[in-house]
Amino acid sequence: MHHAHIDKFAYQDSPVHRLDSRVKFIVVLVFTAMVVSLPRTSVSILACYAVGPFALLVWAKIPLRFAFKQILLVSPFVLVLALSCPLYDRTPATVAFGPFSWRLTLGWMRCFTILGKFTVTMSALIALVSTTRFNDLLAGLQRLGLPKVLVIQLGFLYRYIFVLIDRAHHILQARQGRKLRSLGFKAELRIAAAMLGSLFVRSIDTAEHINIAMQARAFDGKWRTLSRLQIRAADYIFALAAALFMAGLYLLVKPVLQ
Amino acid sequence: MAKAIEIENFSYAYPDGTVALDKINLSLEHGRKLALIGPNGAGKSTLLLAMAGFVKGTGRVVVDGLEINRKNLKKIRARLCSCLENPDDQLFMPTLFDDIAFGPLNMGLTPEEVKARVGDALQTVGLTEMVDKAPHHLSAGQKRAAAIATVLSMAPKIITLDEPDGSLDPRNRNNLLKLLASLPQTLIIATCNMNFAAALADRAVLVDKGRIIADGDAKEIMSDSKLMTEHGLEVPGTIR
Amino acid sequence: MHMANELLSVPVAAGTLAIAAAGLGFICRKVRQVITADKLALMGILGAFVFAGQMVNFQLPAMPGTSGHMVGAVLLAIVLGPHLAAIVISSVVIVQCLIFQDGGLLALGCNIINMALVPAYAGYFLYRIVTAGSASSLRVHIGAMIACVVAVEAGAILVPVQAALAGVLVVPFSTFLITMIGVHFLVGLVEGLITVAVLGYLQQVRSDLVLHSLPGKVRLSKSAVLATLVVFTIIIGAGVSLLASGLPDGLEWSYAERPDEPDFEPAVSNDDSRIAAVDDFQSRYSVMPDYSVRASKLGQVAEQQAGSSPGWTSFAGVMGSVITMAAIWLTAWILRKRQSPTA
Repeated sequence: MHHAHIDKFAYQDSPVHRLDSRVKFIVVLVFTAMVVSLPRTSVSILACYAVGPFALLVWAKIPLRFAFKQILLVSPFVLVLALSCPLYDRTPATVAFGPFSWRLTLGWMRCFTILGKFTVTMSALIALVSTTRFNDLLAGLQRLGLPKVLVIQLGFLYRYIFVLIDRAHHILQARQGRKLRSLGFKAELRIAAAMLGSLFVRSIDTAEHINIAMQARAFDGKWRTLSRLQIRAADYIFALAAALFMAGLYLLVKPVLQ
Repeated sequence: MAKAIEIENFSYAYPDGTVALDKINLSLEHGRKLALIGPNGAGKSTLLLAMAGFVKGTGRVVVDGLEINRKNLKKIRARLCSCLENPDDQLFMPTLFDDIAFGPLNMGLTPEEVKARVGDALQTVGLTEMVDKAPHHLSAGQKRAAAIATVLSMAPKIITLDEPDGSLDPRNRNNLLKLLASLPQTLIIATCNMNFAAALADRAVLVDKGRIIADGDAKEIMSDSKLMTEHGLEVPGTIR
Repeated sequence: MHMANELLSVPVAAGTLAIAAAGLGFICRKVRQVITADKLALMGILGAFVFAGQMVNFQLPAMPGTSGHMVGAVLLAIVLGPHLAAIVISSVVIVQCLIFQDGGLLALGCNIINMALVPAYAGYFLYRIVTAGSASSLRVHIGAMIACVVAVEAGAILVPVQAALAGVLVVPFSTFLITMIGVHFLVGLVEGLITVAVLGYLQQVRSDLVLHSLPGKVRLSKSAVLATLVVFTIIIGAGVSLLASGLPDGLEWSYAERPDEPDFEPAVSNDDSRIAAVDDFQSRYSVMPDYSVRASKLGQVAEQQAGSSPGWTSFAGVMGSVITMAAIWLTAWILRKRQSPTA
C-alpha cells in the first residue's frame, strides 16, 4: 500500500474526470442501488449493467487491470460468503444459456450473482473515486448536505493519511532491521504498543503544529473554503445519458422478467 | 517608520521550568534578511514563535509598530507570517489551491482577490501547474516551495522561516535560495546550515542556550571561527 | 468485517444509511458548540492515525502465521470522548469506502453504525462505568479491556442481524451469529490487549492524554448513559430473540464469515425445500422478480419454445453487452491513437 498509488488516477485528466463530483456520486449511488436490487439468482443481466462502469473506466483512461486488481484486493470477505452459498442451498436448477444448458444448484447461482454484483458495483465505485479528486468529492458531498464538521474532518484525514502511513513505514522498517527472531507474544505486544504509542504522541504533536500553522494564517475558528464546483452542459448530458442507460435497462429487463 | 521587529528583554520558560529564551533584545529594520543561527535546541524556533505571538513570556515584542497582545494579534498575523519547519505541518489542506487560499480567505478577501493571490503566489514559487495537486503528490523541494507560497499569498511584510533548507538536495536548496533572495519582504530565517545563511543573510544573530551571543554583520560573525566552533557551528565554505 | 453491498437489500441499506446519517448529523450538531478550533486538526490526524496504526502488526500466540493489529475505536473514545471519536471513526469508515473501496457505497450506513457509532459509544460508556473516574491503572486497564471486547462484539452482532433482514445469503442465522460472536471475541480480545498496552505506554509518556485532560470534552449525563444502554439491550436482545425464535421465515437467510479461515466449511448444511418456497415467495413481491430461477425451473417447458426461450434472451443480453464493451474499448483506443501524435 504505497501511498503514491492510492489516488494517482484521480489526478489524470479526461472528460469523465472533468464531470461534476455531485453528478457522478449520485449516478453511482443510484446505479449501485439498482444492481443490488436485481434478482438474487440472475447472472446474465449483470453483463448489461457492467457496460456502464466499463464505459466510464475506458473513457477515463483508467487501466482495467488496476480496477480488477483493486476489486480482487477487497474481495476476500465477499468471496468467502459467496462460496458458502452452494453449501447451504442445494436446490437443483437448470440454467440455459444460448444453445447450452447446465444443471446447477441455486446456491451456485447465488454465489455467481453475489460475485457478479460485487464486481459491477465495485467497478462503479472505482470509476467514481479514480476519476474524482477526493477534495472535489468532499466539496460535492458538502453541497449535498454532509455536515461541515465531517467535511473538515475528512479533509484533514485524507491529507494526513499519507503523512502517517509514511511514518508508520519508517517505524516498521526500523523494527524489521532490529528484530531478528520471534520474541514471544508478550514482547511483540509491548513493542507494537510502544510503536503505536509513539506514533500516537507524534500525531498529537503534529496536530499542535498544524494549529500553529492555521493560526499563523489568521484562522479564527471559522472554516472558509472557496468552492470551485460548477455544473456545466457536459454534466447534464452525462446525467441524462446515465438516466437513459439505467431506465433502458430497467424497462428492458422488466418485460423479460414477466 | 516603525521597525519590523523590536524585542525588549523577552524571556520565556517551558512549563517544566527550563529556560528557553533569556532576556532577548533584538531590533530589525524592514527589508533586511536576518539569519538566526545556532546549534540544535538553542531556542531559534522558540524565538520565531515568540515573534508571531505563539509563545507568551515576559518582556515586549513589537511587530511593525504593534505590540503583541490579544487585541493586535489578528492585525499582526496579516503583517508577520511564519512558515513552519516541516512542510507537512504547513500544508494541511487537501489541495495546494485550498492551502494557499486558506490565509487570504481568513483575511476576509473576496473570492476574486483570493484567486488572484493564489495565482501570484504560485507563480512566484514556480508551481502554477500544481494548483490542483494534493501535497502528497509533490516532491520535497516542491513541498517547501508550496509552504512558502501559503505564506506569500497573505502578502505579509515580514516572513519568518524555520529551517527552510532542511532535507533539501543542493539543487533544490539553490532554487530556494534564489526564491528567497528575490523576495522583497523582511525575512527572518532560522537555520543551522551556515552556507545557506551566508548566501542569503545580510545580518546574523547567533543564539545559544536561549541567549543572543552575537549580533551583527553576517559575514563578520560567520567568519569568526573561534566563536562559531564554540557554539557548535562552522565557518561557511563560501567565506573561508 | 466490512459489510458489502451485495449482502444487503435496498430497503435495509436505505434504512441503515438513514439511521447512520441521522445519528452522525445529530452528533455533529451536538458537538458544534464544544469543538474548539484546535480540535479540528487533532481529530483529523487521529483518524489518519487509525489507518497508520493498522499497519503496525504483531504476531499472535498459538496461531502461527496470523497477526493482529489495532482498530483503535476505544482508544480514541477514551482520549477524545465518545462524540468526537464517533465522528473520527465514521470518517475513517467513509475514507475506507471512498478511497480504498473497503465496503460498498450502499453498505456505508451499516458500516458506520457497526464499526463507528456502536463501538465508540459502547466502548466509552463501559470504560467510564468500570473506571468510575478513578485513575488507578488497574481500573483503566480492566475498563479498556472490557470496553474493547464488548464494543467489537456489539458491532459484530449487528452484521448478521442486518444481513438476515436483507435475506441475501443462505447460511442459517444461528450459525452465522455464533461464528461472528466467536471470531469477534478473539478480535476484541486482541484489540483489548493492544489498547491496554498502548494506554500503558501513554500513561508513562503523556499521562495527561489518558486522564481526560484534553480540553473541551463533552460531559456525559447519566440519562444519556442509561438511554444508550437501553438501546443496546434492545438491539442485542432483538438479535438473540431472533436466534431463539426458531427462524420460521425469511430470517433464515443469512451468511457466515471466517475471515481468518477462507476455506472454512460450516458443518451444518441446510437443503430445506422451504428455502425454495421462500425464494419463490420473495421473488413474486420484489421489484424485479427472479426471472432466471423461474426460467430455469420452467426449463423443460422453455426449451420447447425455440427462439424465444429465456436461455436465448440471456445469451443475447450477454453477447450484446460484450460487443458493446468491445466497441467502446475500440473507439477509445482509436481516439487515443489519433490524439497521441498531435499531443
